[in-house]
Amino acid sequence: MSKDVQLLIIDDDPDFVEGIQSILTKAGYAVDVAYNPKEGFKALKSKKYDLLLLDIMMGRGAEGVMVARKINKDPVLREIPVLIITGIREQMAFLFPGQPIHPRFLPTDELLEKPVEPDFLLEKVNHLLELAKEKKSN
Amino acid sequence: MKKFAYFPGCSLEKMASSYHKSALETTEVFDIKLQELDDWNCCGATTYFHVDQLLAYTLVARNLALAEKEGLDLVAPCSACYKNAYFTNEYVKEDPDLAEHINFALEEDDLQFNGNIEVHHLIDVFVNDVGVGKLKEQVKNPLKGLKIAPYYGCQIVRPRKNGEDVEDPQYFEDIISAMGAEPANFPERLRCCGGSLIMTSRVAALDMVRILLQSAENNGAHVIATACPLCQVNLECYQATVNEEFGTDFKMPILYFTQLLGLALGISPKKLGIGIELVSATPIFSKLLPKEVK
Amino acid sequence: MALKPSFSTEISNLLYAAHGSPINSCIQCGTCSGTCPVANYMDQSPRRLIGMINADLKDDVIDCNTYWFCASCYHCTVRCPADIDIAGVMYAVKRYSIWHKTYGEDLVGPQFSEAFVKTIVRSGRSYEPLLAPSYMTHFGPKEFFQEVVTASKMMLKGRIPVLPPRIKRLDNFKNMIRKIIPLGESS
Repeated sequence: MSKDVQLLIIDDDPDFVEGIQSILTKAGYAVDVAYNPKEGFKALKSKKYDLLLLDIMMGRGAEGVMVARKINKDPVLREIPVLIITGIREQMAFLFPGQPIHPRFLPTDELLEKPVEPDFLLEKVNHLLELAKEKKSN
Repeated sequence: MKKFAYFPGCSLEKMASSYHKSALETTEVFDIKLQELDDWNCCGATTYFHVDQLLAYTLVARNLALAEKEGLDLVAPCSACYKNAYFTNEYVKEDPDLAEHINFALEEDDLQFNGNIEVHHLIDVFVNDVGVGKLKEQVKNPLKGLKIAPYYGCQIVRPRKNGEDVEDPQYFEDIISAMGAEPANFPERLRCCGGSLIMTSRVAALDMVRILLQSAENNGAHVIATACPLCQVNLECYQATVNEEFGTDFKMPILYFTQLLGLALGISPKKLGIGIELVSATPIFSKLLPKEVK
Repeated sequence: MALKPSFSTEISNLLYAAHGSPINSCIQCGTCSGTCPVANYMDQSPRRLIGMINADLKDDVIDCNTYWFCASCYHCTVRCPADIDIAGVMYAVKRYSIWHKTYGEDLVGPQFSEAFVKTIVRSGRSYEPLLAPSYMTHFGPKEFFQEVVTASKMMLKGRIPVLPPRIKRLDNFKNMIRKIIPLGESS
């Protein structure tokens, strides 16, 4: 994998980010990180990314949903594949015990729940990048 | 006639039903109609903010949207409801992303909110829409001889909303003077009653209540006037517990400012919900000069 | 790109949009602690808590009860000469402790908050009798008795509702919540 594949992580958990960042960097991706949604959106606007890895619970609340929806409304940004990586079911378990994540309101391509298995993460990332490439060449 | 959308909040349904009654009775005297929002929901007090602020703003915005649909400004009698409604309104106006996200959710209830209304606390209505002068004109039974401690509490004054004086406000005193009563010097009038700590950190909250009661008593107040249901419940319903814990002997009546105002306006105690106190309010009547209030 | 953020940045990130809250502009003047009506009951005063956040003493911050004892009276916020929304910081640390489940079992605050929010998402309105177990189970026999006496007196005066209230358009309300927190069965 070449360094010219550029990924962005938006996640507020420094320890989790450290883990997946090293997995992705070792696999040859160039990885940028934003630790809050505001910085994350700024990064998306300033540089071209091939894939976004997005957390849900950060900042004031479930801001990942807000970011995902905002991206989806932007004609340029909406081309970027989005992989949600979240611990929301764990974080909100007291409120909605055992309930699944509701896909209807999350305009994203794939969803993984924390903690993530390194191989599985790479597989998903790869898959989404392939899909995006196919889409572009069509 | 002036009309407002009225958001009573959960406490006024039962726990503070006397605030509800007296708010409606007293505003009516000044030709002000408080029209209760249809199907309003809880403002979340402080607790939504511990979980998700976007959720907090959305649930509060539902009530704002209900008011906007009626084309009316919103009035809340509870300080916590007021603070939440006031700031949600401000944030929606200044943050288009937040507004968009909230409206995306409000669609589910066929509502939208565009930030086109204003939010007031009930006491603002008397201070600004009625005015102290008009208030005084309508007083039929001046509460002469009664010394009332004006308890502002927290969230009416704080956080700062519109450049108002957060250290030395005077409007509560002015209202009390307009009733013909004497505002007691009450140094702790801006100090917190403990709020929900009465449930979660009881020892701290009881001590906070004690300090307020002591300050009012030391300054010769016959009654404490409040403008918030949580303050009223903490100061009144937990007074017996405070006495038990600290060996004090407080018998301080705690009434809503609208109840005292109602008495001054000549409204009967029953219509003002007087009679459901745990600390009897009867002693204040004997303080009044004879024949002024029956 | 961004370096691994310090704990103080982590907390700032939780409240960046609410108000400008430059936690690290704190000058440790102690106005907040002097103003706070609950400071005597906190493990660490508000001034110390801010200092500890800025010193990245993450574990000590998480372990103390300070933020769960904050009554949200905003007295510190309006007086802070460095313009820090200190009550807002307390909210942020509360959220951190709920999302990461780091709060102590003996604290009533987080359990009360959770019970409260649960009541609202299910019915749209608050109902005191449903909230009581979240704090009363933490009470000793004397406090428990006092609370029962207070509640009974209020009940006799008709000040506690018999039935839990609920809003009319509850399904819409629940779908609305689902758009903000995307959890729950499809409907």
